[in-house]
Amino acid sequence: MTGVIETDGLTKRYRRVTALSNCTISVPQGRISALVGENGAGKTTLLRLLAGLAAPTAGRVAVLGGWPRQDRAYLAEIGFLAQEIPLYQRLTAQEHIGFGAHLNPRWDGESVRARLAGLKVPLDRPAGTLSGGQRAQLALALTLAKRPALLLLDEPLAALDPLARRDFLAALAEAASVKGDGGLTVVLSSHLIADIERVCDHLILLARSRVQLCGDIETLLAQHRILTGPCKDTTAIARTHAIVQEDTTARQTTLLVKLNGPVIDPAWTVEEANLEEIVLGYMGQDDAGHSAGPGTARLSAVGGER
Amino acid sequence: MTWVLWRQYRVTAAIAGAILAAFAVLLLVTGLQDAARWHAALVTCAKDGTCANLSHTVSLGGGPLNTLAVLTLAVPLVFGMFWGGPAVARERETGTMQFAWTQSVTRRHWLSVKVAWLLLAAAVFGGAVAGVVTWWYAPVNALHHGQFTPGYFDIQGIVPIGYAVFAVALGIAAGTLIGRSLPALAVTAGAFLAVRLVVAYVVRVHYLPAVTTVYSVTRNFIPQGAYWPLSQGVVLPGGQFSTSLIAAPGVIQGFGTVPASCPASSSIQISTTLACMARLGYRSFATYQPGYRFWPFQFIETGIFVALAAALIAVTFLVVLRRDA
Repeated sequence: MTGVIETDGLTKRYRRVTALSNCTISVPQGRISALVGENGAGKTTLLRLLAGLAAPTAGRVAVLGGWPRQDRAYLAEIGFLAQEIPLYQRLTAQEHIGFGAHLNPRWDGESVRARLAGLKVPLDRPAGTLSGGQRAQLALALTLAKRPALLLLDEPLAALDPLARRDFLAALAEAASVKGDGGLTVVLSSHLIADIERVCDHLILLARSRVQLCGDIETLLAQHRILTGPCKDTTAIARTHAIVQEDTTARQTTLLVKLNGPVIDPAWTVEEANLEEIVLGYMGQDDAGHSAGPGTARLSAVGGER
Repeated sequence: MTWVLWRQYRVTAAIAGAILAAFAVLLLVTGLQDAARWHAALVTCAKDGTCANLSHTVSLGGGPLNTLAVLTLAVPLVFGMFWGGPAVARERETGTMQFAWTQSVTRRHWLSVKVAWLLLAAAVFGGAVAGVVTWWYAPVNALHHGQFTPGYFDIQGIVPIGYAVFAVALGIAAGTLIGRSLPALAVTAGAFLAVRLVVAYVVRVHYLPAVTTVYSVTRNFIPQGAYWPLSQGVVLPGGQFSTSLIAAPGVIQGFGTVPASCPASSSIQISTTLACMARLGYRSFATYQPGYRFWPFQFIETGIFVALAAALIAVTFLVVLRRDA
């Protein structure tokens, strides 16, 4: 079965920089996928390519079974929320709802009104006078009201306070479940791994414009382990497994490995890795790939995230 | 889309409408006064038989209102800068383009509706201003026949519609290509002025070949109606046209080029000199665009600006359909 999103070698170059390089991912229908990576890793570029707002320099992209294209029926299936939360500053929430109603075949304006009423966001004030959080709520509600098959959200949580984040994620999970049997698919970029863990079941990890990881979170958790041991020689481990991250101190060595079978060597203590450890492990990797050798390990040095 | 545009532009439209209404009322009141004075002057001059030199006895179309009417030269530019310039650029700047383009509406449709309404608004508002100004100038034109002269030609008839449509198209195209409102405004202003000046002062005169009339230096010649004077001078006996010497009853300009065999000085009657020149084969000439070409010129110039607007809109479509949001 092919996914809602299938990309193959997707590349986007701007004049001087390569924003996304050789990106091949697959997101099955019904997933809530977290798109993570450092600032400038290419998350926004990927989402814009998927939404059809930008055209790739190279590679192929299929969204809902076709190239992102300019036709009404296709556009109706895509919900997109840009990072900067663009709204018409002088138009009110009510006018934005009308905007959506006039431009979309399925439009649930009532859901926006209900959501905003619940959040006490005024409908009759220009968007420019609303607080950042209120604007984010309005924009999110408008994106959801389109009732798309695929939601692409660029850092929707960044402008929300913790309570609003929780509410929003709950609403998202509900929207995904309401459609039931593989309906709504979501890709949301975020830096907040704790929030991601709560609702997402799929992960795309970008670092330095490349895809480092793409898969179901459950599978990723099952594939990765933290190994701790006094042994400084990791060649035996590297022979069978892929060492993602290596942290060596005088007393012990800590490894994040992608398993390829069980770890037999009793010198190593094997623990489950949590999502954050996996994400940070891959982000800290250098471009050489999965087998970062001794001396390149920077597990403790990864702090680029907010 | 139309509803969406109306929401975005209704304040602008209301302001433009209010300014237009105030402008129309002002010109209507003064225009009616001018028209009344003109008709009164016609009645008086018919009684005393002085209608031939009416332009010396009646004064029409002067004062601040004339200045205001002439200032309507800038109306298309204002539309271009403030309606055209931000139309696409502002949506890019603020990111709302990403909002608009991810609704269920194609870029082509979004742009078509936006461009169509803006151009229509430019044509309607530009046409309304030009209509009021044209009406206001009717008595002045009847008196002075000045409507073909550059400057006055440009604010009457249908050319202001062409200018307005062109200016807005230019603004939209500049905003689309540049992507930011403020530089787009500046480029629109510069390009509009350049194109308008070149067309008005270089291109326009060539729409139709100018008419040259050659006549005796001892006679006066004034073309019919609202002609556009281009040049005048003297045809030398050898057939060359010279504009450094102008000869007409009572007037000689360029004494230095009067033939030596014809006495010319302030003490000698000009008519004697003119008669002498006529004997030697000197004739006067006047080159001009005849008054009946006012409307053909209006149509040609409007056509040029509408065609330029169409080209700019075509460029806009190419860019919007291909470039990333």
